[in-house]
Amino acid sequence: MKNLLYKEFKLALHPTCYIFLLMAFMLLIPNYPYYVAFFYQTLGIFFIFVGGQANNDVYFTTLLPVPKRATVKARFGVIIIMELAQIAVSIPFAILRNSLNPLENQAGMEANIALFGLVLMMYAIFNMVFLPMVYKTAFKIGLPYVFACSAMAIFVGVAELSIQLIPALKTTLDTLDLRYLPQQLAVLIFGILVFLLVTTLAYLKSATRFEKIDL
Amino acid sequence: MENKREILSVKDLNKSYDAFKLKNVSLTLQAGSIMGFIGRNGAGKTTTLKSMVNLVHSDTGSVEFFGMDIKTHESEIKQRISFAFGGVDYYLQKKLGTITNVYKRFYDQWDEKAYEDYLKQFELNSDKNVKELSQGMRVKYGLALALSHHAEILILDEPTSGLDPVSRDEILNIFTDVVDSKQASILFSTHITSDLDKCADEITYIKNGEILVSEEKDSFVDSYRLVEGSMDQLTEALKSIIIGCHERRGEFSGLIKSKDCENAQDIKCSPADLESIMIHIERRA
Repeated sequence: MKNLLYKEFKLALHPTCYIFLLMAFMLLIPNYPYYVAFFYQTLGIFFIFVGGQANNDVYFTTLLPVPKRATVKARFGVIIIMELAQIAVSIPFAILRNSLNPLENQAGMEANIALFGLVLMMYAIFNMVFLPMVYKTAFKIGLPYVFACSAMAIFVGVAELSIQLIPALKTTLDTLDLRYLPQQLAVLIFGILVFLLVTTLAYLKSATRFEKIDL
Repeated sequence: MENKREILSVKDLNKSYDAFKLKNVSLTLQAGSIMGFIGRNGAGKTTTLKSMVNLVHSDTGSVEFFGMDIKTHESEIKQRISFAFGGVDYYLQKKLGTITNVYKRFYDQWDEKAYEDYLKQFELNSDKNVKELSQGMRVKYGLALALSHHAEILILDEPTSGLDPVSRDEILNIFTDVVDSKQASILFSTHITSDLDKCADEITYIKNGEILVSEEKDSFVDSYRLVEGSMDQLTEALKSIIIGCHERRGEFSGLIKSKDCENAQDIKCSPADLESIMIHIERRA
């Protein structure tokens, strides 16, 4: 697995993945739907597969002396690392935003702990929709990305609407008030659990599909 | 490497697609030999080769390398073989050195000294990108990678297609050197029959997804004769044994089995070569 991950970073990872990490700076924008800053990384992941197609990555990798499942696991590994890196890079920007400008974000959720939990859920949905669809054929990637973006948009829409329209959620989650830290931590922990569980399921489904297809 | 040891055995491979079927494909490769896998475009060469390394899942049949089934010992087998579609055509924007640095990590038997020697021998520069290499150089780079992890079988899908005659000759000479120095055995597909004239020990001929013949090249070539004559010599008996008969301006030409020569007395018979055998067999409906 170590060698496959090395291969992913040395050959497969698209440079935009690193560039999109910098999109975390968008959390400094006073009024903005902050999910967008995290969405960019899914575009970077999409580019990994686009680059993979252009570079015949599937043949290079599957002809190496490793099980096909392991190649899927390594790809999931790099995706998870980049998604978590996106969140990690965002944390200092969130802190900076909130200390520089304590005014309320008028365009959606505050850059707080609950947001990170919701972003993890958004990534989980992306992983579940995009990756098993890609590994069904290993060459059709456009439509899976459209479906994945749609699913993420629906999730973000529902989450934002619920939080803005339900006073109890608005008060506890869309705030920088530390009194509501326990509620926000609960959302974060729930997000972590959803991310881990759903991404694991996405891996199992993807690996099984990839093993079955003819290349 | 001990000669006449069976190192690859394909038995009754079947694979159905909507518009194409691989039917009971069987062949064996002996250690220390070069097998040419021949057939026209779309005959099933690539599908067969892909099935051997599990890129394509056969419906039925088995593939064994060194006595091990590919379905249960895939990683172990892939340590000891190499498979390539033509030349290296992956990660074109990356330097050879970068690709090698990734590739070598996967092979227990990687031999850095041998790799350096092959780079020199093939005049490859590891600072170049793959896209800067000619097609012939890409094939050589693929061979350098394969031989540096001491692959015992090289399976190559059309390694000489698209190469100029000089580069083709170079690649074929490398093949014979590799096999003669007992480093590896080679199975390569091609539709260029002169490649096989130059270096193949054995021929496997596939047509419409079925193996027509898999045997020593010399005995295969020797089993056919070219015939030609005037139309009045083309009797019904001759018509029944002639393969790919072509008639033009009162003359005919075709192929017959050598054993049928006695039925074609008074007809001009001449030795056939692989190209004429292939053309006549394919011409037959």
